[in-house]
Amino acid sequence: MSAYLISMTTYAGFFMILALALNLQWGLTGMVNFGIAGFYALGAYASGLLSAKAGWPLGLSIPAAVAVGLVAGGLVALLSMRLREDFLAIVTLGVGEMIRLVVLNEDQITEGPRGLRIDAQPFRDLVGQENYAIFYLCFVALFVAVTYAICERIRTGPMGRTLRAIREDDVVAGVLGKDVFRHRVQIFAIGGGFMGLAGALYAHYTQNISPEVFMPMVAMFIWMSVIVGGAGNNRGLLIGAGTVIMFLEGTRFIGDVIPSLDAEKMSALRIIIIGLLLIVTIRLRPRGLLPEPKFTYEPRKDAGKPARSPT
Amino acid sequence: MSLQILINALVNAALIAPPAMAFSLLFGILRFPNFAIGGYITVGAFAAYTLNVPLGLPLPLATAGAMAFTGLVVWLAHVLVFKPMEGQSAVTLLVVSIAVTLILESVIRLFYSADVRGFDIPLQRPYRIGEMRITKEQIEIIVLAVAMGTGLHLLLRYTRIGRAMRAVADNPMLASIRGVDAARVTTFTTVLCGAIFGLTGVFAGLDLVIEPLVGWNLTIPIFAAAILGGIGSPYGAILGAIVLGLAEELTILVLPSTYKIGVGFVIIAVLLLVRPQGLFGTVEIKK
Amino acid sequence: MPEPILSVAGLRSGYGRTVICDDISLSVAAGRITCIIGPNGAGKSTLLKTIAGVIRPMAGSVRVGGVEIAGELAAQVARSGMAYVPQEANIFRALTTHENLAMGGWIDESRTKDARDKVYAMFPDLAPLAKVPAGNLSGGQRQMVAFGMALMLEPRVLLLDEPSAGLSPLMVAQMFETVRRVNSEGVAILMVEQNAVQGLKSAHEGIVMASGRIVLQKPAKDLLTSADVSELYLGSRT
Repeated sequence: MSAYLISMTTYAGFFMILALALNLQWGLTGMVNFGIAGFYALGAYASGLLSAKAGWPLGLSIPAAVAVGLVAGGLVALLSMRLREDFLAIVTLGVGEMIRLVVLNEDQITEGPRGLRIDAQPFRDLVGQENYAIFYLCFVALFVAVTYAICERIRTGPMGRTLRAIREDDVVAGVLGKDVFRHRVQIFAIGGGFMGLAGALYAHYTQNISPEVFMPMVAMFIWMSVIVGGAGNNRGLLIGAGTVIMFLEGTRFIGDVIPSLDAEKMSALRIIIIGLLLIVTIRLRPRGLLPEPKFTYEPRKDAGKPARSPT
Repeated sequence: MSLQILINALVNAALIAPPAMAFSLLFGILRFPNFAIGGYITVGAFAAYTLNVPLGLPLPLATAGAMAFTGLVVWLAHVLVFKPMEGQSAVTLLVVSIAVTLILESVIRLFYSADVRGFDIPLQRPYRIGEMRITKEQIEIIVLAVAMGTGLHLLLRYTRIGRAMRAVADNPMLASIRGVDAARVTTFTTVLCGAIFGLTGVFAGLDLVIEPLVGWNLTIPIFAAAILGGIGSPYGAILGAIVLGLAEELTILVLPSTYKIGVGFVIIAVLLLVRPQGLFGTVEIKK
Repeated sequence: MPEPILSVAGLRSGYGRTVICDDISLSVAAGRITCIIGPNGAGKSTLLKTIAGVIRPMAGSVRVGGVEIAGELAAQVARSGMAYVPQEANIFRALTTHENLAMGGWIDESRTKDARDKVYAMFPDLAPLAKVPAGNLSGGQRQMVAFGMALMLEPRVLLLDEPSAGLSPLMVAQMFETVRRVNSEGVAILMVEQNAVQGLKSAHEGIVMASGRIVLQKPAKDLLTSADVSELYLGSRT
């Protein structure tokens, strides 16, 4: 049982890093990233391929994964920064899907749906078989802590405060000009780097990766973590990520209780529930997914009853 | 050989054009890109399949049933999900619409296994005209798509409700001021578009395969065609679909066919960077 | 004295929780023109939008022809015999002139054909532009379309929000001429005007608003000659 808990917590760790990265991107640059799975995949395959096929040591392949995520994030930000938010979200979704497609198709290199087998694991020889699971958990936890610290530092630093303040005010942002633009790209890139890191950590944990893992669903789960945790709040995020993982893992047990549900249908049910949860949460949050702009003009849209006040 | 490309491109375009028109219409009225269309298309395909195979109805009847059913599903989604969230930002609505697609797909996966399916229609050899081949189904798709497009055009241009739809898409506040019940027009538009997506599901089932991802895989090409034509312009969407159809066929001459969906994405990325208003559009996409 | 065609009492309105205009009471007699002037930010447009049903009032009453309409949606208000011409976005850019006018008559399309002919008669410049999408018309032409749309249902009251805004001086003169012509057919008009001199010259009654309240209410020509008004308000011309 405890082995199971350790495994679950490790997965939670990956989600936490992804959620922290997403919140960095969204909270500071206001860019809605729906291609999380793509950056995750880039990191996983970068480190996986470099270590399994090119024989790189992990000390190099994992940083390489981070670098790949960084560069990809920077590119995406550069290209789509000026787009309206919803179109930007679609572009990032497209990027994520394209990455998945390339991974799927170039199976000469990536092994595609067959799955890429990755043997290398950090410090495996040192720690040995017995305690490895706990070790890896601590390994991941360390990175979660580091990610958290860095994200908080960026967020509360002067650049972070400025970006947050002008996040939706494009007029002010425009006046402040290129500097702001550059910082937004940088921050989005950093977020991408963290997502790549999470991917690498994931790859070396499961030791076998294939494209089905990196579907748009991942974006849904991570957004769920951010929303459930109370968007913008890094601490709340961690709770959110933990909750989502608990839910995902917990529902495995339903499969035991209801025998007619095979793995495929189980996963479908989980997605339905998460999707519904997402919709309900957004519905109940008065601010929706993003906080509303500072000044709202509110002409009537409702079909309410006539306003009769005693005069 | 090159004429075969044209034929394939035409079939592609016929598959994409009606939903792209519907997508543009919806965008004009709802003001956000509605990615629930993927789920709607899948619903249409499976509804038609269910009517056609286990229930044994002939395909035309099954198609009509599927269109009605999809219209109903779209109406439900509108009433339960989108309408209550009317004032939210476009991103929020986009995210919600993606959630709706995932939910619809997953519901279908819950009830149907993952086998590949096809409609129960008599097997027929493709027609041959010289070097080119075209199947009966493909001809039907093209003809029906043209009919659908024409019907939509006539509706928009010459009927009272069509004018109201265009007016609400153009300026909903003014439409209300002039007495139009914008809510009812919106509902009508969404149900109508729902029927179109249902039909697209049937086309997809005829030309591609019937599987839960069929709608999602069409979403990006549909969106690309709509943007290409200028999102918000249903007529531009037709042109966009034709260009996209051609681009897809030309691409798979050089790349493996599984990259077909990538074409749509690349077009979207390039357009959004260079000319976001597409060929005919007027909507603000850049900030 | 006959009941005014439009009467507003104790109207309070604004956005969200911010009150923009308060305690507004005014009335427009049938067939008369009232012009509201005042500095920017006085709440004139907000007032008009509230009367038109675009903004929900926080308090007060609006009666058209004796029927209470406060709190009703704009689409309902359109049926009350009152037509509103917004200052901006007052035409359907994607629709042709012909179709724009048709939309004006949406509520009762049986009268559309005759009404449209009357509008073309009043604005002969529009007739050759019937098939042109309204977005391609010039500012002055668009203003005519906006006006024409509002006239399609033969309203008893017309609400005009800064009808001269964005028009060249020649067009401004033509526009006020149109206002007078429409009024001569018995339509009461309540207009908000930034161009205070021209506005008051075309009107029977004048209202001065400032900081969300009515400050002065007098026959228009009295306001034109009044010394303080002259200094404070008529001096500002766009």
